[in-house]
Amino acid sequence: MSDALSDDGSDFNQDDTQEDVMTPAELIAKLEEAWLNEKFSPELLENKSEVVECVMEQLTHMESNLQRVKKGDAKASIHRMEIDRIRYVLSSYLRSRLQKIEKYFPHVLEREKSRGEGEPSLLSPEEFAFAKEYYANTESYLKAVALKRMPSNLQTVDMIKAVPEPCLDSFVFLRVKERQENILVEPETEDQRLLITVDPGDIPEIKTAQRSHQEACPSSSPFIQNKD
Amino acid sequence: MVSFVTARPAPQAAGTVCSAVPVGRKFLNTHTKKQTDMDPSEVEFLAEKEMVKIIPNFSLDKVFLIGGDLGPFNPGLPIDVPVWLALNLKQRQKCRIIPPEWMDVEKLEEMRDLERKEDMFTPVPSPYYMELTKLLLNHASDNIPKADEIRTLVKDIWDTRIAKLRLSADSFISQQEAYAKLDNLTLMEINTIRAFLLDTLNCMYKLRSNVQ
Repeated sequence: MSDALSDDGSDFNQDDTQEDVMTPAELIAKLEEAWLNEKFSPELLENKSEVVECVMEQLTHMESNLQRVKKGDAKASIHRMEIDRIRYVLSSYLRSRLQKIEKYFPHVLEREKSRGEGEPSLLSPEEFAFAKEYYANTESYLKAVALKRMPSNLQTVDMIKAVPEPCLDSFVFLRVKERQENILVEPETEDQRLLITVDPGDIPEIKTAQRSHQEACPSSSPFIQNKD
Repeated sequence: MVSFVTARPAPQAAGTVCSAVPVGRKFLNTHTKKQTDMDPSEVEFLAEKEMVKIIPNFSLDKVFLIGGDLGPFNPGLPIDVPVWLALNLKQRQKCRIIPPEWMDVEKLEEMRDLERKEDMFTPVPSPYYMELTKLLLNHASDNIPKADEIRTLVKDIWDTRIAKLRLSADSFISQQEAYAKLDNLTLMEINTIRAFLLDTLNCMYKLRSNVQ
């Protein structure tokens, strides 16, 4: 996977580093935020492949530097520890995305299909390939194990219906980054609507899929992001 | 010390694909581990990024880490480093850790009393107070004066806060509120209740929306 990553994304990555003047520390903070958001979100969030690319680049650069250092250097061991920590976050992030793709693959692919021109892709090219392959493998597995022995009218499975959708109505914790006024909160039972104001640092607990809320609060989180 | 944290629901057994083919919409759902769970050790991992002062007993030039520069290290001169490095150096007996200012019996006693008096959550000295206490006391208790008292005090504060958290979760659910404000809660505290509370709310939401 790492080979594919570096081969594929190298072009736009170079453009990116020219535009962005992000320090490596900010980059790591971005990765950590993406990691936590992905972890706590009930659905797959959009891919952050530039961040992943840049972090990979930093890590390989640092590792190649370390190759030249002789053994037992005190500095090198500190660097190694840091690399291990970053690598953990990175792989945990990518793994949690893959788990979600495995869990919701027909829906993920469906959304990818219905995505309009110019809209950013939900999946990185590698993740897209993974999702397609997973779909094909699941299908052929089901066919080999059970379906081909079924009566002919029962030999197809509608994947979209067979695999549960991500539950967009689930509750989340969120941490407020900027002050937002008049956020709409709909209680489940009554028709009444509630307007609240949130300040940075507050941690209200709200259901995810409230579209109005999503617009009002473009930047939520370490805990979760309200993005569809 | 963080015994509450481990009381997470065990992941359901993964059903195999072929045994569950019949009706049901969930027959392909083989990955039953909740994604929205966070392991307490991962919260601790985040806490290890906090800075702490150490007094090194070695000298070393500036280290240019990806996350920022550290150093230079001089014997006897206090310097800020992330907790993960401080603990590593401590384990190799290369430094002495200076406990953070709030890790002090008097300050913590004050905090405990305030926490017990107030109905709301009071501000905590560090967003990772519990994890840091545990990490520093477990690995560097010889550098922290009155370590045992501090351990008890922090545990008292933690217990009071968790009791409040449970109480407010209870009233949140029984009054069917749409949202709750949980200011001043730390990630570890939220983490102890996240899986349980969110699952409960989701279930209740499902039940209620089916009734209507």
